[in-house]
Amino acid sequence: MIDLAAPLVIGDIADLLTSPGEMSRIVIEGLAKGSLYLMISAGLTLIFGLMDVINFAHGAFTMYGAYIAGAALLGLGVGSMGFLGSMGSIFVVMLFVFLLLAALGVVFEVALIRKLYEYPPIFMILLTFGFAITLEELMRMVVEFGDINNGQWQIDWATPRIESVPTELASTTEIGFLSFSGLQLLQIAFGVLTFVGIWAFLNRTRYGLFVRAGVEDEEMAKALGININRTFTAVFAVGSGLAGIAGVMLALDPLWAVNVPLALAVLLPAFVIVIVGGLGSFTGTAVASLLVGMIDALGTWAFQTGVITFTDLDQLMIFGILVVMLILRPRGLFGVEGQGDHG
Amino acid sequence: MTLLELDGVHTYYGESHILQGVDLEVGDDEVVALLGRNGVGKTTTLRSILQLTPPAEGSIRFKGDELVGKDTYEIAEAGIGWIPEERRMFGRLSVEENLRAAVPTAAAVAEGLELAYETFPILEERAGQRAGDLSGGQQQMLAIARGLVGQNELLLVDEPSEGLAPKIVTDVGEALLSASASVPILLIEQKLGLALDLADRYYVMDHGAIIDQGETAGVTAEDEKLRRYLSA
Repeated sequence: MIDLAAPLVIGDIADLLTSPGEMSRIVIEGLAKGSLYLMISAGLTLIFGLMDVINFAHGAFTMYGAYIAGAALLGLGVGSMGFLGSMGSIFVVMLFVFLLLAALGVVFEVALIRKLYEYPPIFMILLTFGFAITLEELMRMVVEFGDINNGQWQIDWATPRIESVPTELASTTEIGFLSFSGLQLLQIAFGVLTFVGIWAFLNRTRYGLFVRAGVEDEEMAKALGININRTFTAVFAVGSGLAGIAGVMLALDPLWAVNVPLALAVLLPAFVIVIVGGLGSFTGTAVASLLVGMIDALGTWAFQTGVITFTDLDQLMIFGILVVMLILRPRGLFGVEGQGDHG
Repeated sequence: MTLLELDGVHTYYGESHILQGVDLEVGDDEVVALLGRNGVGKTTTLRSILQLTPPAEGSIRFKGDELVGKDTYEIAEAGIGWIPEERRMFGRLSVEENLRAAVPTAAAVAEGLELAYETFPILEERAGQRAGDLSGGQQQMLAIARGLVGQNELLLVDEPSEGLAPKIVTDVGEALLSASASVPILLIEQKLGLALDLADRYYVMDHGAIIDQGETAGVTAEDEKLRRYLSA
């Protein structure tokens, strides 16, 4: 064990980084975090790629997903169900949250967003920003007047999380030099599922073909008989539902807090990922999610092992990447020139 | 019988009054050429029919149904296909995906692909390639194929020979000629010879209105009157 008080010299750091146990720890944690980041940003990138809508309410959708998950898990008494029962309930809650947020997305798109497609992008930004604030204030009221978490909207709603997360998720398994927790496995599994699911939707279904055609040339897609408005609504529904599911996943992770500021905590890294990956590119978003996940894991690891003695280096590096990317390659890793331009 | 009928169509781009009362007709078994210098409103006429740039005034009827006010996709569903200027491929989609997107129903995909590959065998060879990587001539064939597989009853074809080598222009001309056996075409084409070869009738446009029209029979690319209309 390393003495936290003494600063490490370069030799110690090199020893740590070349040890297979430490390396695998960072990689597994990076994969798990990257999976969460993918779930957070997948909906945002789908919606932006097709519709050119920068949805500032995306983080609020995730925050609602987290709160609904908390309420549902508490209401169902998931903590006392045993491993299979609790996992089953969590999956049911995920499905429910997906459908509910997808429905909210449909209402938002049809009633408000659709009216502004013909206007300059600033109108859309103001609309989604306003909707984000409305949703956040609404949740603040619900928490305060509903006496959820003793009315504390800015503090982590810890009770349902601690009670409803199965202990198996928190415990660590060791195989050889590999060490991982059940939660990490679950996160990676859902990350892979999200990637495969969206990839298959985009590349293997007729609707996905319409979406990709619409991303490239909306006018031409319409002129070929594709009802692009209906495609927009469907994509907005799926994107919003995914934001909700990400919220349920975050509610299971002790490193995230279920509170109203979660909306912003989700939105910032999601924006970074979508921009770094390349606006409108789903593959880019997946790669950027992994990149940010790895950096986050490395920063966390460096702090935990005493390589550095301050926190949030990972945050600094993530935004550093954003700055460097915007200067060197503004369209991102996988972005296509002109994608996301208006007109 | 009249298939498409434009009646006093006025269309604006912002404040610019582009179409100033266009009247034209396309019958149900003819190819009609829309001639005129650059910037007189030919492309805007096609965009107005498709409601991509909806007219402010006037009527556009297809098989007797009013198109003004409809969504573009409904006009495509009604059977009007667009083979636009600069081809407008989905460049990152494969050749086959471009065709699939153009077939109106999932059930008709196999039949549509067969028709496209029969007409342009080169497209079958390139089926898995990104459309953006095709040569200009191949892209034009794909654009025409997208029009053919759409089960359309009228094709709006905009500058099909633009930017193509002379040999390819001949191929594209033959492809359009064979297409015109089964579907009526409203054609915009700068190469007067090609336009007159394909078309049964022509309209001449200037300043957003039709200023002349006639049969193409007996009219050559050397025709004095037409040359005067089309010279800058």
